[in-house]
Amino acid sequence: MSRPPFFIQRLPLSLRFALRDLLGDPKGFGVFIACIVIGVAAIAGVNGLSHALERGLAREGRTILGGDLSFNFGQRELSSEERDYLTARGRLDEILLMRAMTRLEPVREDSDPAMIEIKAVDPATYPLFGALETSPPLAPAVALAQEGDAFGLVADPMLLARLDAKVGDRLAIGPAHFVIRAALAAEPDKLAGGIGYGPRVIVSRAGLAATGLLQEGSIIRRLARLALPNAPSDDAVTRAADAANAALPRAGWDIRKRDSVSPQFTRNLERFSQLLTLVALTALVAGGAGVANAVQGLIERKRASFAILQALGAPASRVFAIALVEVLLMTALAIVIGLALGATIPYFAAEALRRAIELPVTADFDPPSLALAAFYGLLVALVFSLAPLGRAHDIPVAALLRGDADAGSARTPLPYLVAAAGAMLALVVTVMLSAGDRRLAGAFIGCVLAAFLLLRLVAGLAMRAARALPRARDARLRLAQSNIARPGSLAPTLVISTGVTVTLLVALALVEGAIHAELARSGSGEIPRFYFVDVAKADSADFARFLEEQEPSARIDRMPMMRGRIVAVKGVRVEKLQVGQDAVWALEGDRGVTFSAAPPKGARIIEGAWWNENEKARLVSMESKVAAGMGLSIGDEITVNVLGREITARVANLRKVEWRTLAINFVMVFSPATFAGAPYSDLYTIGYDGEDADARDARLARATAKRFPAVAAIRVKEALETVDKIADQLALAARAAASLAIATALLALGSAIAAGQRARLHDAVVLKTLGATRRWLIAAYILEFAVLAAAACGFALLAGAAAAYGIVEGLMTLPFVFPADVLAATTLGALGATLALGLAGTWTTLSRKPGPELRSL
Amino acid sequence: MGIIGPSGSGKSTALMTIAGLERPDRGAVRIDGRDITRMDEDALARFRGANIGIVFQSFQLIPTMTALENVAAPLELAGRSDAFARAAEELRAMGLGQRLSHLPRQLSGGEQQRVALARALAPDPLILLADEPTGNLDSETGAAIIELIFEQKARRNATLALVTHDPTLAARCDRRISLRSGRLAREPERAS
Repeated sequence: MSRPPFFIQRLPLSLRFALRDLLGDPKGFGVFIACIVIGVAAIAGVNGLSHALERGLAREGRTILGGDLSFNFGQRELSSEERDYLTARGRLDEILLMRAMTRLEPVREDSDPAMIEIKAVDPATYPLFGALETSPPLAPAVALAQEGDAFGLVADPMLLARLDAKVGDRLAIGPAHFVIRAALAAEPDKLAGGIGYGPRVIVSRAGLAATGLLQEGSIIRRLARLALPNAPSDDAVTRAADAANAALPRAGWDIRKRDSVSPQFTRNLERFSQLLTLVALTALVAGGAGVANAVQGLIERKRASFAILQALGAPASRVFAIALVEVLLMTALAIVIGLALGATIPYFAAEALRRAIELPVTADFDPPSLALAAFYGLLVALVFSLAPLGRAHDIPVAALLRGDADAGSARTPLPYLVAAAGAMLALVVTVMLSAGDRRLAGAFIGCVLAAFLLLRLVAGLAMRAARALPRARDARLRLAQSNIARPGSLAPTLVISTGVTVTLLVALALVEGAIHAELARSGSGEIPRFYFVDVAKADSADFARFLEEQEPSARIDRMPMMRGRIVAVKGVRVEKLQVGQDAVWALEGDRGVTFSAAPPKGARIIEGAWWNENEKARLVSMESKVAAGMGLSIGDEITVNVLGREITARVANLRKVEWRTLAINFVMVFSPATFAGAPYSDLYTIGYDGEDADARDARLARATAKRFPAVAAIRVKEALETVDKIADQLALAARAAASLAIATALLALGSAIAAGQRARLHDAVVLKTLGATRRWLIAAYILEFAVLAAAACGFALLAGAAAAYGIVEGLMTLPFVFPADVLAATTLGALGATLALGLAGTWTTLSRKPGPELRSL
Repeated sequence: MGIIGPSGSGKSTALMTIAGLERPDRGAVRIDGRDITRMDEDALARFRGANIGIVFQSFQLIPTMTALENVAAPLELAGRSDAFARAAEELRAMGLGQRLSHLPRQLSGGEQQRVALARALAPDPLILLADEPTGNLDSETGAAIIELIFEQKARRNATLALVTHDPTLAARCDRRISLRSGRLAREPERAS
C-alpha cells in the first residue's frame, strides 16, 4: 500500500503538506541553505572561540595572574607593614618588571644592543602557579643562580636570534654580567605582564640589583602576588582583596583578581569578537537577498500547487502556513549544518591561538554560542522570507481555470510586510542586547541599514533612468535598457551584492592603507626615531649633551617622567567610579605622569589656561577626552598615587593631544610645584630624517648602550613594526570575516541571475529566431551588467571610503589616505568578477536551441 | 447543466463565480440556500472544500504529491481522519488501484484526469464543476472520462456544471445554457 509513512500522517496539517512538497521537490533551496549556513557557522564559530578564550582566562586566571591576587605597587618598594600583612594571608611572590638594554659579552664595536623586558623574580617563590618552562628544562633556582661573577638568565628565543647568541653565551646588563642558561619556552604569567616592546628576559632579583638599574625614579613595576590557602572561591578572593584595601587604605596599590586578569585584554577581546560577529552577521544579511530570491523562486514554482490547494478548500492562511513551514524546515536544516560547522571552528582556531599568543584556550561544546547563532539564522531567514512568502496569500486561484496559474504578479499583503518588519526589529534588538559595546553595534547596524537602503535606492534610480531615458538606437543597448527597466530586473540584487562586496573591499583596503602609510611615515622624520627611557636625573645633562654630539641637527625633546595611578576623581575613589569609555583605559594600572612649566608640544589648550612659570599650587592639565570620560571640568580635583604618595591636584586646563605625532605626551601634566623634590627620571625623544636614518639609528643605539648602559632606547620603527604585525593579524581575521560576507553576496547574485533566467530565456529565444547571434546577446548582457555594476561600484567607492574614513580618523586617529591605484584595482576586479559571474549565469540561456524552447514558451 | 458558448463568452467566469473563485459585480450566488458572495475568503475556501468539486481542463494535480496524496488533500484540509482510506477507495473506483503511489508525471493524460476527478469527488460535493475536462485529451480517452463523470454524478446524485465547446456533450445534460458576450444567448433549454 502506498500510504505515506505513518509519522507524516500524524503530523499537523501544514507540516504534513510542507514535508510532502519538499520530499517531492527538494530543489531550489541550494543558495538559501548556503547563505544561512555560512552566516550561522561564522557567528557560532566566532562566539564559540571568544567564549573559549574567556573560559580559558577564567580557568587559568590564577596561573596567568601569577596568584589569586596581584598587588601592583608601581615604582615603590613594599613597606614592611604591607609585606607582613600579605605574608600572613598566604604565599607571597614578589616580582619586578622593567625595560633595559643588553649586549653580548665580550662587547665588540659592531655588536648591537637590544632592548629587553626584564622580569626579576625570586626563584624560591616564582611561579606560585603553573611552571616556568625552559629549554633545556631547568628549575628557576638552577637557571637563575649566580655562579662566579655571572648571574643565570633565561631569555626569549627572539633575543637569542636577534643577538645571534646561544645558551651558554654571556650578556651584559648595565655593569652586571649574566650567562644565558636556557631559552624561555613558556612563561605562565606572560599575559599579566602586558605586551612588551622587547623580548622577555628572566633574572633573579639579586641579579637585577647588581645591574644598578634600580635607582630612585627608574621606571619599574613591582608586583606582589598572593596565593590564598585552601583553594578559595572567587568570592573569597574578592573578600580578601576588600579586606586588604580596608586594612591598608593608603597603600595606593592596584589590586587585580584572578577572575579579571587583564581587563584591557578582555575588553579588546570582547570588542574584536563583537566586531567579527557583526561582520559575520553582515554575511548573513548580505545573503538575505539570496534567501529572498530563493523564497520568491519557491513561490513562483509553487504558484499552481498553492492555487490548487486553495481551489480544494485550503484557506489562504493555510497556504501561507504551508509555504512558511517549508521555509522553516529548510532554515532548520541550514542552521543544523551551520552549527555543525561553526562548532568545529573553535577547535581548529584554539590550536592556532594557543601557539600564536600562548593563551590557555581550549575549545569545547558551547551551547549559548550555538543558540545565539541559530537564533540569528532564524531571524534573518524570517526577515527576508516573510515578504515573498506573503505573496502566496493572494495567488489568483481563478487563473487555474484559464490554465495560466502563473499569470499576474501578486503583491505582498500589508500584514506580511509588518511581520517582516517585526522580524527585522527583533534582529536589531537581539544584536543590541547581545552586544557588549552598544555604541559600536548601533553604529554598525546604522551603517549596514543605510548601505542596503542606499544601494536599493541606487538600483531603483538605475531602473527609473532606464525607463525614463529615450530608447537607445543600438538594439543591444535597447535590450540592456529594457532588461534593467523591467519588473523582476536583476538591478536590485546585482547592485546590492556588488555594492556590498566593493564597499567591504574598499573599506578594508583603505584602513590597511592608512596603517601602512603610518608605518612608512616613521621613516620620514616627522615622528621621533627613539624614545630614551630611564635617564637618571643626575645623568640627564650629560645625556642631553651626548645626544647633541651624536646628532647635532636632530630635534631633541625632554620630559621628566614618573609612574602614577589615578586613585580618586572629585573625591570619589576610582573603585566606586563609573566612567565613560574614553576614560576607562586611563584608570587601569599605572600611567606615565610628568610635570612641566610650559605646555607640551603637539597639544592644544582647548579650555582653561596654562599656569605661570612660578605657579606654586598643585595644578594639572588633563587630556580632554579622558577628562570628559571622567566628568572632570576646570577646577575639579583629581588624586594620583605616585611612589606610594597620594597627591591631589586641581584641573587647570584641558588639552587636545595629537597622539599620532608620537611626540612625548601625557594624559596628565602637572605643575612643577606638585612634585617638588620627588625622584624622577627623564624621558628623551630624538628625531631626524634622511636616507641614512636607519644606519644612524644603529650607530646611536650602540653609542648609547656603551655610554649609558642603564638607559633603555626604544626604537620607534621597531615598536611600530610590532604594532603593524598585530594589525596585520587583526586585518587577516577581518578580511576572513569580510570574505564570508562577500561569498554570500555573490551567492545571492548567482541566485538572482538564476531566478531571472525564464524572462531572459524568452527574449533570447525570440531574438535568436530573429537572427541574433550568441556574440550579439553577450554584448547586450555585458552592457546590462556593466551599467549596473558601475552604478554599484560608484556608490560603493563612496560608502567604503566614508566607512574607512570613520574608522581611520575616528577610531584609530590616523590620517586618511586615498590610494587611487589600490581602489582602481579593487573596483575593476569587482567589476570584472560581476561580469564574469553574470555571463556564467546566463550561459545556459545563450546555449539553448530556440526550436524546442519556442514550443514550450 | 451544460454551459456552452464561443471563446470569451464568459463560460469560465460563470464557473468561477459559482465556485466562489471570483466575485460577481452584481447579484448573488446561492448554493443550498446560502449566499456565498457574502462569505469571506476563508469561509469560502472551507465551503468550497466541503461542497464543490472542480475538474480542470489541464488537470491541475499537485506535481509533488502522489495520486493518493492528491486525492486525499481536500479530505485532509477538511480535517477528515479517514482521508487516505477514502482517497484510495475513490482511486480504485476510477480504476487506478495500481497507481496510488505514482506522481502525476508518471501518469498518462487520461489517468491524470481520472485522479483529478477522484479528487473532485472524494469529499462527496453537492456540485461538480468541470471546465472543458476533455480539452487536453484525445477523443477516445476524453469519451471515457465523460462517461466516468456522468456515471459518478448519477451515482452520487450531485449537480454537474459542465463547460464545453461540444454541443453533443452539452446535449447529454439535463439543462443547457448558452452564453454570448457574458449574457445568456437564449432561454435555457430543458432536455426531455
